[in-house]
Amino acid sequence: MTAHPLVKRIWRHKLFYLFMLPGIVWFFLFSYVPLFGIQVAFRDFRFSGGFSGSPWAGLKYFHQFFGYYQAWELIRNTILISAMKLSVGFTMPIVLAILLNEVRNLRFKKVVQTLSYLPYFVSWVVVVTLMQRLLTPYGGPVNDFLRGTGLIQEPITFLNNTTWFYQVILGSDVWKNIGWNSIIYMAAIAGIDQQLYEAARIDGAGRFRQMWHVTLPGIRNIAVILFILATGSLMSAGYEQLLLLNGPATAAIGSVLDVHVINSGISEGRLSYAAAVGLFQSVIALVLIVTVNRVARKISDVSLF
Amino acid sequence: MGKRKLSLFSLLNGAFLILFSMSMLYPFLYILIYSLNDGKDSMLGALYFYPRQFTLDNYAQVFHNPKIWQAYRITIMRTLLGTILHVSLCTLMAYALSKKTLPGRTFFTFYIFLPTIFSAGFIPYFITLQKLHLVNTFWVYIIPMLFSFFHIVIIRTFLQGIPEELEESARIDGYGDFQIFLRVILPLSGPVLATISLFNGVAHWNDWFTGTYFVSDKSLIPVQTLLQQMLTEAEALSSSMQRAAQQGGQTMNNNVAGATPESLRMALLVITVFPILCIYPFLQRYFVKGVMMGSVKG
Repeated sequence: MTAHPLVKRIWRHKLFYLFMLPGIVWFFLFSYVPLFGIQVAFRDFRFSGGFSGSPWAGLKYFHQFFGYYQAWELIRNTILISAMKLSVGFTMPIVLAILLNEVRNLRFKKVVQTLSYLPYFVSWVVVVTLMQRLLTPYGGPVNDFLRGTGLIQEPITFLNNTTWFYQVILGSDVWKNIGWNSIIYMAAIAGIDQQLYEAARIDGAGRFRQMWHVTLPGIRNIAVILFILATGSLMSAGYEQLLLLNGPATAAIGSVLDVHVINSGISEGRLSYAAAVGLFQSVIALVLIVTVNRVARKISDVSLF
Repeated sequence: MGKRKLSLFSLLNGAFLILFSMSMLYPFLYILIYSLNDGKDSMLGALYFYPRQFTLDNYAQVFHNPKIWQAYRITIMRTLLGTILHVSLCTLMAYALSKKTLPGRTFFTFYIFLPTIFSAGFIPYFITLQKLHLVNTFWVYIIPMLFSFFHIVIIRTFLQGIPEELEESARIDGYGDFQIFLRVILPLSGPVLATISLFNGVAHWNDWFTGTYFVSDKSLIPVQTLLQQMLTEAEALSSSMQRAAQQGGQTMNNNVAGATPESLRMALLVITVFPILCIYPFLQRYFVKGVMMGSVKG
C-alpha cells in the first residue's frame, strides 16, 4: 500500500502540527466559540441553556437599544471621541518622528525617544491616577503653577467637568501613545534612501522642502496602512480610559458604546441586550475597515488585504 | 543665509523636544516626590521638585498592609507564569508556521488572523469565560492571554530570517526536528523572545480589567485592580480632606503629621510602576526592532 504524497508530507511534519495544536485549540475556544456565541444577541440568554439553548428573541434587543433614549447620544459620543483621537492621535506621532529625525545629536535623540515611550508602558489606571493628582484644584501642581504665575485667579477643575473633558481625554491619549506610535515612522524614515536627500539638496531643496518631498512620501505607505487599521476602531473609543475617566458629571458627552456594553452586560447582567449593542459595534467596524481598505487601494495602491 | 535658518530651526526643535521629554517624565517624578513627602504637608500644595518634609512613612504604611502584599504576589505570579507560557506556546506555533513546506500553512495563518478583523465582542467572550469556569479563578489571568496573533507573526518573521543552511547542516549532523528547534533555533532567537516577553509581561503587569470585572474573590485581586479601586473610592475622601487642609492651613501642618489616603495612593502607584521602569531601558533596543519586525506584513 503506497501512501498519498500529501499524506506523506503531512506525516513528515507531524512534530510541527503538534507545536501548533495548543494554538489551534486556543483560538478555537477564545475566538471562534465567542463568534458562535454572537447568537445570544438574538436570544433571551440564560446560563443554563448556553449559547444555543436559550429561546429566540428575534430583534427584540436591537429594538430595545435603538429605542433607548440615550442610544444616539452614545453613538454620537463614541464617533466624536474616536474621530478626535484618530485625527490628533494619528498625526502627532508622525510630527514627532519627523522632528526627531531632524536631530543631529544621536545621544539627545536617543534620550528623547526613550522618554517618549515611557508612558506607553504604564496602565490606564496609573495614567488616570497621575492626572487626578496633577490636575486637582486642591494642591495639584498644574493649578498651583498657573496660579503662581498669575495666569488664572481661581483653580480650574479639569476632571469631572464637561468644559475640559475632551481636552483631557485627547491629551492623555496622546501623552500615553505618541512615542510608541512614532517608532514605526522612525523605522520607515530610517529606511529612506539617503541618495534621495542628496539629490534633493543638489536640486537646492532646503530642510523643509526635503521633509515635504522626501520624508513625507517615504512614510506614506505605512501611514495609510496604520490609518486603515485605526478606522476599524471608530466605533470604540477606548474602554479602559473612558471607564476610568467618565463620571456622572461628564456622562452627557462622555458615555460611549464600549462602556455601555460593559456596564449593562456585566454590572447589570443584561447579557443579551449588551451582546446586541456589541454586535452593532462589530458590524460597523467591519464595514468601516473593509470600505477604507478598498478606498485606500483605489487611490494609493496600498491596502491591508 | 541658509545656514542661519537651519540652526534656528534646530534650536527651536531642540527646545521643543526638551519640553516634550519633560512632559513625559515630570508626572512620574512628581508622584515620587509626593510619595516621599509627609502626607498632611503635601495637601498644602506648591510641591514641585523636591520633598518638603521627607519621610518614608507612606511606604512603611503601604508595605504594612497585608492586602497589598497579597495583591503584589498575585501580580508577580501571573506575570511570571503567564509570560513564560505565552512566549513558549507562541514560539512553538510561530516556528511551525515559519516552515514554508508545512501543508496547510496558509490556512492556519488565516485561521488565527480572522479574529483580528472580526471579533464577537465582549459579551460572548465573557460568557465563554464563564462556561469554561475561568471566571473568579487565578487561571482567568493566564489562559485567555496565552496567544496573540501579532506576537506569533513577529516571532515567525524573525525565525524566517534565520538562514536555512543552519538547519540543513544540523540535519546532516544527525539532529532531529525537535533537536534543531531546541539547539539551533532557540539560541538564535534571544532578541525576539526578549521583546515578546516584555510586551506580554507588561500586559500582565498592567491588566486591571480582568481583576475588576472577572474576579470577585478579594484574595485574587492584582495590584492594578487595587489601585483602580482606590482610584474610585479615595477620590471623594481625599479631595474633601484636602479642602479642609487648605482652609485649616498652617496650624494643621505644624501640629499633625502623617500619611493621608492620597499619599498612600501615590506610594502604591510608585511601587506599581517601579518594576517596569527598571526593566524597560534594558529591553528597549530589542523592542524597537520588534515593532519594526511586526510592521513587516505577514
